[in-house]
Amino acid sequence: MAIEVSDRAREWLHKQGGVATVRLSPRHGCCGGRADIAVAEARTPDAPKRYTRLEHDGVVLYIAPTLLDQDLTLDVEGFLGLRHLFVDGAPLSR
Amino acid sequence: MSTLQDSQSPSTSEGMGLFERFLSVWVALAIVIGVLLGQFAPAIPEALSRFEVAQVSIPVAILIWAMIFPMMAQIDFSAVLGVRRQPRGLIITTTVNWLIKPFTMFAIAWFFLTVVFQPLIPADLASQYLAGAILLGAAPCTAMVFVWSYLTRGDAAYTLVQVSLNDLIMLFAFAPIVVFLLDISNIQVPWDTVALSVVLYIVIPLTAGYLTRRTLIARHGSEWYDNVFMKRIGPVTPAGLILTLVLLFAFQGEVILEAPLHIVLIAVPLIVQTFLIFFIAYGWAKVWKVPHRVAAPGAMIGASNFFELAVAAAISLFGLQSGAALATVVGVLVEVPLMLALVRIANKTRHHFPEAEAPAEAKG
Repeated sequence: MAIEVSDRAREWLHKQGGVATVRLSPRHGCCGGRADIAVAEARTPDAPKRYTRLEHDGVVLYIAPTLLDQDLTLDVEGFLGLRHLFVDGAPLSR
Repeated sequence: MSTLQDSQSPSTSEGMGLFERFLSVWVALAIVIGVLLGQFAPAIPEALSRFEVAQVSIPVAILIWAMIFPMMAQIDFSAVLGVRRQPRGLIITTTVNWLIKPFTMFAIAWFFLTVVFQPLIPADLASQYLAGAILLGAAPCTAMVFVWSYLTRGDAAYTLVQVSLNDLIMLFAFAPIVVFLLDISNIQVPWDTVALSVVLYIVIPLTAGYLTRRTLIARHGSEWYDNVFMKRIGPVTPAGLILTLVLLFAFQGEVILEAPLHIVLIAVPLIVQTFLIFFIAYGWAKVWKVPHRVAAPGAMIGASNFFELAVAAAISLFGLQSGAALATVVGVLVEVPLMLALVRIANKTRHHFPEAEAPAEAKG
Protein backbone atom coordinates (compact mmCIF):
# COMPACT_ATOMS: atom_id res chain seq x y z
CA MET A 1 0.00 0.00 0.00
CA ALA A 2 1.19 3.49 -0.80
CA ILE A 3 -0.77 6.47 0.43
CA GLU A 4 0.41 9.93 -0.33
CA VAL A 5 -0.76 12.99 1.54
CA SER A 6 0.02 16.23 -0.25
CA ASP A 7 1.67 19.07 1.67
CA ARG A 8 -1.48 21.16 1.21
CA ALA A 9 -3.66 18.36 2.56
CA ARG A 10 -1.39 17.79 5.56
CA GLU A 11 -1.34 21.49 6.39
CA TRP A 12 -5.12 21.75 6.00
CA LEU A 13 -5.77 18.57 8.01
CA HIS A 14 -3.65 19.86 10.89
CA LYS A 15 -5.97 22.88 11.09
CA GLN A 16 -9.02 20.57 11.00
CA GLY A 17 -7.90 18.35 13.88
CA GLY A 18 -5.32 16.13 12.19
CA VAL A 19 -7.66 13.20 11.40
CA ALA A 20 -8.94 11.92 8.05
CA THR A 21 -11.18 9.03 7.05
CA VAL A 22 -10.99 7.40 3.62
CA ARG A 23 -13.97 5.17 2.89
CA LEU A 24 -16.28 3.96 0.13
CA SER A 25 -19.48 5.85 -0.58
CA PRO A 26 -22.16 4.09 -2.67
CA ARG A 27 -23.73 5.76 -5.70
CA HIS A 28 -27.01 4.23 -6.84
CA GLY A 29 -27.88 4.00 -10.54
CA CYS A 30 -31.25 5.22 -11.75
CA CYS A 31 -31.92 1.83 -13.41
CA GLY A 32 -30.75 0.04 -10.28
CA GLY A 33 -27.19 -1.06 -9.67
CA ARG A 34 -24.57 0.60 -7.53
CA ALA A 35 -20.94 1.61 -7.66
CA ASP A 36 -18.81 2.60 -4.69
CA ILE A 37 -16.62 5.66 -4.88
CA ALA A 38 -13.73 6.48 -2.54
CA VAL A 39 -14.26 9.64 -0.49
CA ALA A 40 -12.09 11.39 2.07
CA GLU A 41 -13.38 13.34 5.05
CA ALA A 42 -11.60 15.31 7.76
CA ARG A 43 -13.10 13.44 10.72
CA THR A 44 -12.91 10.25 12.76
CA PRO A 45 -15.08 7.42 11.39
CA ASP A 46 -18.24 6.28 13.21
CA ALA A 47 -16.65 2.89 13.94
CA PRO A 48 -12.86 3.37 14.00
CA LYS A 49 -12.29 -0.34 14.70
CA ARG A 50 -13.54 -1.20 11.23
CA TYR A 51 -10.75 0.87 9.68
CA THR A 52 -7.01 0.54 9.46
CA ARG A 53 -5.37 3.31 11.46
CA LEU A 54 -2.20 4.85 10.06
CA GLU A 55 -0.09 7.78 11.18
CA HIS A 56 1.34 9.87 8.43
CA ASP A 57 3.48 12.93 9.24
CA GLY A 58 1.39 13.88 12.26
CA VAL A 59 -1.91 13.10 10.55
CA VAL A 60 -4.02 10.13 11.68
CA LEU A 61 -5.59 8.31 8.75
CA TYR A 62 -8.44 5.80 9.00
CA ILE A 63 -8.54 3.78 5.77
CA ALA A 64 -11.33 1.35 4.85
CA PRO A 65 -9.76 -2.13 4.51
CA THR A 66 -10.93 -2.52 0.90
CA LEU A 67 -8.91 0.56 -0.06
CA LEU A 68 -5.66 -0.54 1.52
CA ASP A 69 -4.21 -2.06 -1.65
CA GLN A 70 -4.70 1.11 -3.71
CA ASP A 71 -2.21 3.84 -4.50
CA LEU A 72 -4.18 6.67 -2.92
CA THR A 73 -3.42 10.35 -2.92
CA LEU A 74 -5.06 12.70 -0.43
CA ASP A 75 -5.28 16.34 -1.44
CA VAL A 76 -7.44 19.41 -0.89
CA GLU A 77 -9.24 21.55 -3.43
CA GLY A 78 -11.60 24.49 -3.48
CA PHE A 79 -11.29 27.88 -1.88
CA LEU A 80 -12.23 29.74 1.30
CA GLY A 81 -15.01 27.93 3.17
CA LEU A 82 -15.55 25.53 0.25
CA ARG A 83 -12.14 23.90 0.66
CA HIS A 84 -12.45 20.14 1.08
CA LEU A 85 -10.45 16.95 1.13
CA PHE A 86 -10.49 14.53 -1.78
CA VAL A 87 -8.91 11.20 -2.57
CA ASP A 88 -7.55 10.16 -5.93
CA GLY A 89 -6.33 6.82 -7.22
CA ALA A 90 -9.12 4.46 -6.22
CA PRO A 91 -11.24 3.08 -9.05
CA LEU A 92 -14.98 2.62 -8.68
CA SER A 93 -15.75 -0.66 -6.99
CA ARG A 94 -18.70 -2.69 -5.89
CA MET B 1 -9.52 -8.56 -29.69
CA SER B 2 -9.37 -9.90 -26.17
CA THR B 3 -6.62 -8.46 -24.07
CA LEU B 4 -5.42 -8.79 -20.53
CA GLN B 5 -6.94 -5.39 -19.85
CA ASP B 6 -10.34 -6.60 -21.03
CA SER B 7 -10.27 -9.41 -18.55
CA GLN B 8 -9.41 -6.93 -15.79
CA SER B 9 -12.66 -5.05 -16.33
CA PRO B 10 -15.55 -6.13 -14.12
CA SER B 11 -18.06 -8.40 -15.82
CA THR B 12 -21.63 -7.18 -16.29
CA SER B 13 -22.86 -9.61 -13.66
CA GLU B 14 -20.38 -8.12 -11.17
CA GLY B 15 -21.45 -4.56 -11.88
CA MET B 16 -25.17 -4.99 -12.28
CA GLY B 17 -27.83 -6.98 -10.49
CA LEU B 18 -30.66 -8.94 -12.05
CA PHE B 19 -33.02 -5.96 -12.08
CA GLU B 20 -30.80 -3.53 -13.96
CA ARG B 21 -29.37 -6.10 -16.39
CA PHE B 22 -32.86 -6.98 -17.54
CA LEU B 23 -34.37 -3.52 -17.27
CA SER B 24 -35.69 -3.79 -20.84
CA VAL B 25 -37.64 -6.90 -19.82
CA TRP B 26 -39.20 -5.14 -16.81
CA VAL B 27 -40.02 -2.11 -18.95
CA ALA B 28 -41.67 -4.41 -21.51
CA LEU B 29 -43.63 -6.07 -18.68
CA ALA B 30 -44.65 -2.63 -17.36
CA ILE B 31 -45.92 -1.81 -20.87
CA VAL B 32 -47.99 -5.02 -20.98
CA ILE B 33 -49.39 -4.54 -17.46
CA GLY B 34 -50.17 -0.88 -18.17
CA VAL B 35 -51.92 -1.66 -21.46
CA LEU B 36 -53.94 -4.46 -19.80
CA LEU B 37 -54.87 -2.12 -16.95
CA GLY B 38 -56.02 0.54 -19.41
CA GLN B 39 -58.05 -1.99 -21.40
CA PHE B 40 -59.64 -4.07 -18.64
CA ALA B 41 -59.71 -1.72 -15.64
CA PRO B 42 -59.87 1.78 -17.16
CA ALA B 43 -61.54 3.13 -14.02
CA ILE B 44 -58.21 2.94 -12.15
CA PRO B 45 -56.15 5.26 -14.39
CA GLU B 46 -59.19 7.51 -14.91
CA ALA B 47 -59.66 7.87 -11.15
CA LEU B 48 -55.95 8.61 -10.67
CA SER B 49 -55.98 11.23 -13.42
CA ARG B 50 -58.68 13.23 -11.57
CA PHE B 51 -56.27 14.19 -8.75
CA GLU B 52 -54.94 17.35 -10.39
CA VAL B 53 -53.72 20.66 -9.03
CA ALA B 54 -52.93 23.43 -11.53
CA GLN B 55 -53.05 20.81 -14.32
CA VAL B 56 -50.39 18.74 -12.54
CA SER B 57 -51.44 15.16 -11.89
CA ILE B 58 -50.62 14.51 -8.24
CA PRO B 59 -50.13 10.68 -8.53
CA VAL B 60 -47.83 11.21 -11.50
CA ALA B 61 -45.92 13.99 -9.72
CA ILE B 62 -45.43 11.73 -6.67
CA LEU B 63 -44.11 8.89 -8.84
CA ILE B 64 -41.78 11.23 -10.72
CA TRP B 65 -40.42 12.71 -7.49
CA ALA B 66 -39.92 9.16 -6.24
CA MET B 67 -37.82 8.51 -9.37
CA ILE B 68 -35.77 11.70 -9.27
CA PHE B 69 -35.35 12.60 -5.58
CA PRO B 70 -33.06 9.66 -4.59
CA MET B 71 -30.67 10.56 -7.41
CA MET B 72 -30.62 14.21 -6.41
CA ALA B 73 -30.06 13.28 -2.76
CA GLN B 74 -26.78 11.58 -3.61
CA ILE B 75 -25.25 14.48 -5.55
CA ASP B 76 -22.24 15.97 -3.81
CA PHE B 77 -22.02 19.46 -5.29
CA SER B 78 -18.71 20.13 -3.57
CA ALA B 79 -17.23 17.71 -6.14
CA VAL B 80 -17.63 20.49 -8.73
CA LEU B 81 -14.63 22.15 -7.10
CA GLY B 82 -12.51 19.43 -8.70
CA VAL B 83 -13.07 20.69 -12.25
CA ARG B 84 -9.37 21.46 -12.70
CA ARG B 85 -8.34 17.85 -12.16
CA GLN B 86 -9.26 16.37 -15.56
CA PRO B 87 -9.68 19.46 -17.75
CA ARG B 88 -9.55 17.70 -21.11
CA GLY B 89 -12.10 15.07 -20.17
CA LEU B 90 -14.40 17.72 -18.71
CA ILE B 91 -14.10 19.95 -21.79
CA ILE B 92 -14.89 17.04 -24.12
CA THR B 93 -17.85 15.70 -22.18
CA THR B 94 -19.34 19.09 -21.30
CA THR B 95 -19.09 20.25 -24.94
CA VAL B 96 -20.54 17.02 -26.29
CA ASN B 97 -23.33 16.92 -23.70
CA TRP B 98 -24.51 20.49 -24.05
CA LEU B 99 -23.33 21.88 -27.40
CA ILE B 100 -23.55 18.82 -29.64
CA LYS B 101 -25.85 16.13 -28.25
CA PRO B 102 -29.15 18.05 -28.08
CA PHE B 103 -28.72 19.22 -31.66
CA THR B 104 -27.66 15.88 -33.16
CA MET B 105 -30.59 14.25 -31.35
CA PHE B 106 -32.93 16.80 -32.91
CA ALA B 107 -31.38 16.39 -36.39
CA ILE B 108 -31.33 12.58 -36.34
CA ALA B 109 -34.83 12.26 -34.86
CA TRP B 110 -36.22 14.82 -37.32
CA PHE B 111 -34.58 12.99 -40.27
CA PHE B 112 -35.87 9.54 -39.32
CA LEU B 113 -39.28 10.41 -37.87
CA THR B 114 -40.41 13.03 -40.36
CA VAL B 115 -38.50 12.05 -43.53
CA VAL B 116 -37.47 8.38 -43.62
CA PHE B 117 -40.53 7.06 -41.74
CA GLN B 118 -42.95 9.60 -43.20
CA PRO B 119 -45.11 6.91 -44.88
CA LEU B 120 -45.36 5.00 -41.60
CA ILE B 121 -46.00 7.73 -39.00
CA PRO B 122 -48.74 10.37 -39.28
CA ALA B 123 -47.27 13.90 -39.26
CA ASP B 124 -48.84 14.96 -35.94
CA LEU B 125 -47.54 11.86 -34.17
CA ALA B 126 -44.10 12.30 -35.74
CA SER B 127 -43.95 15.80 -34.20
CA GLN B 128 -44.85 14.36 -30.82
CA TYR B 129 -42.19 11.66 -31.10
CA LEU B 130 -39.68 14.31 -32.16
CA ALA B 131 -40.56 16.32 -29.05
CA GLY B 132 -39.88 13.25 -26.89
CA ALA B 133 -36.52 12.71 -28.59
CA ILE B 134 -35.61 16.37 -27.99
CA LEU B 135 -36.37 15.97 -24.28
CA LEU B 136 -34.17 12.86 -24.13
CA GLY B 137 -31.31 14.65 -25.89
CA ALA B 138 -31.37 17.67 -23.60
CA ALA B 139 -30.53 15.89 -20.35
CA PRO B 140 -27.44 13.70 -19.83
CA CYS B 141 -27.34 10.77 -17.42
CA THR B 142 -26.71 11.69 -13.79
CA ALA B 143 -26.70 8.44 -11.85
CA MET B 144 -26.39 5.29 -13.94
CA VAL B 145 -23.10 6.57 -15.30
CA PHE B 146 -21.39 5.49 -12.06
CA VAL B 147 -22.27 1.91 -13.00
CA TRP B 148 -21.03 2.36 -16.61
CA SER B 149 -17.87 3.96 -15.26
CA TYR B 150 -17.33 1.03 -12.90
CA LEU B 151 -17.81 -1.48 -15.73
CA THR B 152 -15.13 0.26 -17.82
CA ARG B 153 -12.76 0.84 -14.87
CA GLY B 154 -13.40 4.57 -15.15
CA ASP B 155 -11.86 7.30 -13.04
CA ALA B 156 -14.10 7.65 -10.00
CA ALA B 157 -13.12 11.23 -9.19
CA TYR B 158 -13.61 12.40 -12.78
CA THR B 159 -17.03 10.71 -12.98
CA LEU B 160 -18.12 12.38 -9.76
CA VAL B 161 -16.99 15.82 -10.92
CA GLN B 162 -18.56 15.47 -14.38
CA VAL B 163 -21.91 14.34 -12.99
CA SER B 164 -22.02 17.22 -10.47
CA LEU B 165 -21.09 19.72 -13.20
CA ASN B 166 -23.80 18.36 -15.51
CA ASP B 167 -26.40 18.63 -12.77
CA LEU B 168 -25.56 22.28 -12.24
CA ILE B 169 -25.57 23.05 -15.98
CA MET B 170 -28.86 21.19 -16.37
CA LEU B 171 -30.55 23.60 -13.96
CA PHE B 172 -29.97 26.46 -16.37
CA ALA B 173 -29.59 24.84 -19.80
CA PHE B 174 -32.36 22.23 -20.00
CA ALA B 175 -35.30 24.62 -20.43
CA PRO B 176 -33.72 26.98 -23.00
CA ILE B 177 -32.43 24.07 -25.12
CA VAL B 178 -35.80 22.31 -25.05
CA VAL B 179 -37.75 25.48 -25.87
CA PHE B 180 -35.36 26.40 -28.70
CA LEU B 181 -35.46 22.95 -30.32
CA LEU B 182 -39.23 22.57 -29.90
CA ASP B 183 -39.64 26.02 -31.41
CA ILE B 184 -37.64 25.21 -34.54
CA SER B 185 -39.66 21.99 -34.81
CA ASN B 186 -42.83 24.12 -34.86
CA ILE B 187 -43.99 22.52 -31.63
CA GLN B 188 -45.43 25.30 -29.53
CA VAL B 189 -44.97 24.96 -25.80
CA PRO B 190 -45.52 28.01 -23.57
CA TRP B 191 -42.43 29.11 -21.68
CA ASP B 192 -44.31 29.08 -18.38
CA THR B 193 -45.24 25.40 -18.89
CA VAL B 194 -41.59 24.49 -19.49
CA ALA B 195 -40.54 26.62 -16.52
CA LEU B 196 -43.12 24.85 -14.34
CA SER B 197 -41.82 21.42 -15.35
CA VAL B 198 -38.23 22.52 -14.64
CA VAL B 199 -39.25 23.83 -11.22
CA LEU B 200 -41.31 20.71 -10.43
CA TYR B 201 -38.93 18.06 -11.69
CA ILE B 202 -35.45 19.61 -11.41
CA VAL B 203 -35.42 22.54 -8.98
CA ILE B 204 -37.69 21.05 -6.28
CA PRO B 205 -36.09 17.55 -6.19
CA LEU B 206 -32.59 19.05 -6.46
CA THR B 207 -33.22 21.50 -3.61
CA ALA B 208 -34.96 18.84 -1.52
CA GLY B 209 -32.08 16.43 -2.20
CA TYR B 210 -29.46 19.02 -1.27
CA LEU B 211 -31.25 20.06 1.94
CA THR B 212 -31.91 16.44 2.92
CA ARG B 213 -28.25 15.57 2.37
CA ARG B 214 -26.98 18.54 4.36
CA THR B 215 -29.46 18.13 7.22
CA LEU B 216 -29.10 14.38 7.64
CA ILE B 217 -25.30 14.40 7.35
CA ALA B 218 -25.15 17.18 9.97
CA ARG B 219 -27.46 15.19 12.25
CA HIS B 220 -26.35 11.57 11.70
CA GLY B 221 -23.01 11.73 9.86
CA SER B 222 -22.01 10.89 6.30
CA GLU B 223 -21.55 7.15 6.90
CA TRP B 224 -25.10 6.81 8.24
CA TYR B 225 -26.34 8.85 5.29
CA ASP B 226 -24.59 6.62 2.73
CA ASN B 227 -25.06 3.25 4.37
CA VAL B 228 -28.50 3.61 5.95
CA PHE B 229 -30.48 6.43 4.35
CA MET B 230 -29.28 6.10 0.73
CA LYS B 231 -29.38 2.33 0.96
CA ARG B 232 -33.09 2.62 1.79
CA ILE B 233 -34.11 5.26 -0.73
CA GLY B 234 -31.75 4.30 -3.60
CA PRO B 235 -33.97 1.44 -4.84
CA VAL B 236 -37.02 3.77 -4.84
CA THR B 237 -35.89 5.24 -8.19
CA PRO B 238 -36.25 2.07 -10.30
CA ALA B 239 -39.49 1.18 -8.46
CA GLY B 240 -40.88 4.66 -9.19
CA LEU B 241 -39.79 4.29 -12.80
CA ILE B 242 -41.61 1.00 -13.34
CA LEU B 243 -44.80 2.25 -11.61
CA THR B 244 -44.74 5.43 -13.71
CA LEU B 245 -44.46 3.32 -16.85
CA VAL B 246 -47.41 1.15 -15.81
CA LEU B 247 -49.51 4.28 -15.27
CA LEU B 248 -48.29 5.87 -18.49
CA PHE B 249 -49.14 2.81 -20.56
CA ALA B 250 -52.53 2.51 -18.94
CA PHE B 251 -53.21 5.73 -20.88
CA GLN B 252 -51.17 4.75 -23.95
CA GLY B 253 -52.90 1.38 -24.52
CA GLU B 254 -54.80 2.43 -27.65
CA VAL B 255 -51.66 3.80 -29.34
CA ILE B 256 -49.64 0.68 -28.60
CA LEU B 257 -52.38 -1.67 -29.77
CA GLU B 258 -53.00 0.31 -32.95
CA ALA B 259 -49.36 0.87 -33.94
CA PRO B 260 -46.89 -1.36 -32.08
CA LEU B 261 -44.40 -0.79 -34.89
CA HIS B 262 -44.03 2.82 -33.75
CA ILE B 263 -41.96 1.66 -30.77
CA VAL B 264 -39.42 0.15 -33.17
CA LEU B 265 -39.46 3.22 -35.40
CA ILE B 266 -38.87 5.57 -32.46
CA ALA B 267 -36.01 3.37 -31.26
CA VAL B 268 -34.08 3.74 -34.55
CA PRO B 269 -33.01 7.41 -34.20
CA LEU B 270 -32.37 6.93 -30.46
CA ILE B 271 -29.98 4.05 -31.20
CA VAL B 272 -28.19 5.96 -33.98
CA GLN B 273 -27.83 9.00 -31.69
CA THR B 274 -26.45 6.97 -28.79
CA PHE B 275 -23.69 5.42 -30.90
CA LEU B 276 -22.91 8.70 -32.68
CA ILE B 277 -22.50 10.67 -29.45
CA PHE B 278 -20.41 7.93 -27.88
CA PHE B 279 -18.04 7.85 -30.85
CA ILE B 280 -17.78 11.65 -31.07
CA ALA B 281 -16.69 11.93 -27.43
CA TYR B 282 -14.59 8.77 -27.51
CA GLY B 283 -12.87 9.77 -30.78
CA TRP B 284 -12.19 13.27 -29.50
CA ALA B 285 -10.69 11.81 -26.33
CA LYS B 286 -8.48 9.55 -28.48
CA VAL B 287 -7.24 12.53 -30.51
CA TRP B 288 -6.46 14.46 -27.30
CA LYS B 289 -4.74 11.39 -25.81
CA VAL B 290 -7.06 11.37 -22.79
CA PRO B 291 -6.50 8.30 -20.56
CA HIS B 292 -9.00 5.50 -21.07
CA ARG B 293 -10.25 5.77 -17.48
CA VAL B 294 -11.55 9.25 -18.36
CA ALA B 295 -12.37 8.73 -22.05
CA ALA B 296 -14.69 5.77 -21.45
CA PRO B 297 -16.94 7.25 -18.72
CA GLY B 298 -16.81 10.64 -20.46
CA ALA B 299 -18.20 9.14 -23.67
CA MET B 300 -20.81 7.17 -21.71
CA ILE B 301 -22.07 10.21 -19.81
CA GLY B 302 -22.81 11.89 -23.14
CA ALA B 303 -24.36 8.82 -24.71
CA SER B 304 -26.81 7.96 -21.94
CA ASN B 305 -29.83 10.04 -21.01
CA PHE B 306 -31.49 11.28 -17.84
CA PHE B 307 -34.66 9.59 -19.02
CA GLU B 308 -36.56 10.08 -15.76
CA LEU B 309 -36.39 13.82 -16.37
CA ALA B 310 -37.33 13.35 -20.04
CA VAL B 311 -40.34 11.20 -19.09
CA ALA B 312 -41.36 13.73 -16.42
CA ALA B 313 -41.03 16.72 -18.76
CA ALA B 314 -42.89 14.92 -21.56
CA ILE B 315 -45.80 14.08 -19.26
CA SER B 316 -45.84 17.57 -17.81
CA LEU B 317 -45.62 19.36 -21.20
CA PHE B 318 -47.67 17.06 -23.42
CA GLY B 319 -49.63 14.71 -21.12
CA LEU B 320 -49.61 11.04 -20.22
CA GLN B 321 -51.34 10.09 -23.47
CA SER B 322 -48.93 12.01 -25.69
CA GLY B 323 -46.61 10.62 -28.33
CA ALA B 324 -43.81 12.60 -26.65
CA ALA B 325 -44.23 10.58 -23.45
CA LEU B 326 -44.20 7.35 -25.49
CA ALA B 327 -40.96 8.38 -27.22
CA THR B 328 -39.21 9.05 -23.91
CA VAL B 329 -40.25 5.60 -22.67
CA VAL B 330 -38.68 4.01 -25.74
CA GLY B 331 -35.52 5.72 -24.51
CA VAL B 332 -35.84 3.76 -21.26
CA LEU B 333 -36.52 0.54 -23.16
CA VAL B 334 -33.28 0.68 -25.19
CA GLU B 335 -30.98 2.34 -22.62
CA VAL B 336 -29.44 -0.62 -20.81
CA PRO B 337 -28.78 -2.94 -23.80
CA LEU B 338 -27.28 0.00 -25.72
CA MET B 339 -25.07 1.11 -22.87
CA LEU B 340 -23.86 -2.44 -22.23
CA ALA B 341 -22.88 -2.62 -25.91
CA LEU B 342 -20.89 0.59 -25.46
CA VAL B 343 -19.26 -0.81 -22.31
CA ARG B 344 -18.07 -3.78 -24.40
CA ILE B 345 -16.74 -1.47 -27.12
CA ALA B 346 -14.93 0.70 -24.56
CA ASN B 347 -13.33 -2.31 -22.87
CA LYS B 348 -12.26 -3.88 -26.18
CA THR B 349 -10.62 -0.65 -27.37
CA ARG B 350 -8.85 0.19 -24.12
CA HIS B 351 -5.43 -0.48 -25.66
CA HIS B 352 -5.88 2.44 -28.10
CA PHE B 353 -5.73 4.93 -25.22
CA PRO B 354 -2.94 5.92 -22.86
CA GLU B 355 -3.25 4.44 -19.38
CA ALA B 356 -1.45 7.32 -17.71
CA GLU B 357 -2.35 10.97 -17.58
CA ALA B 358 -0.79 13.36 -20.06
CA PRO B 359 1.34 16.06 -18.36
CA ALA B 360 -1.33 18.76 -18.82
CA GLU B 361 -3.73 16.66 -16.77
CA ALA B 362 -1.55 16.75 -13.69
CA LYS B 363 -3.30 17.02 -10.38
CA GLY B 364 -4.00 20.56 -9.36
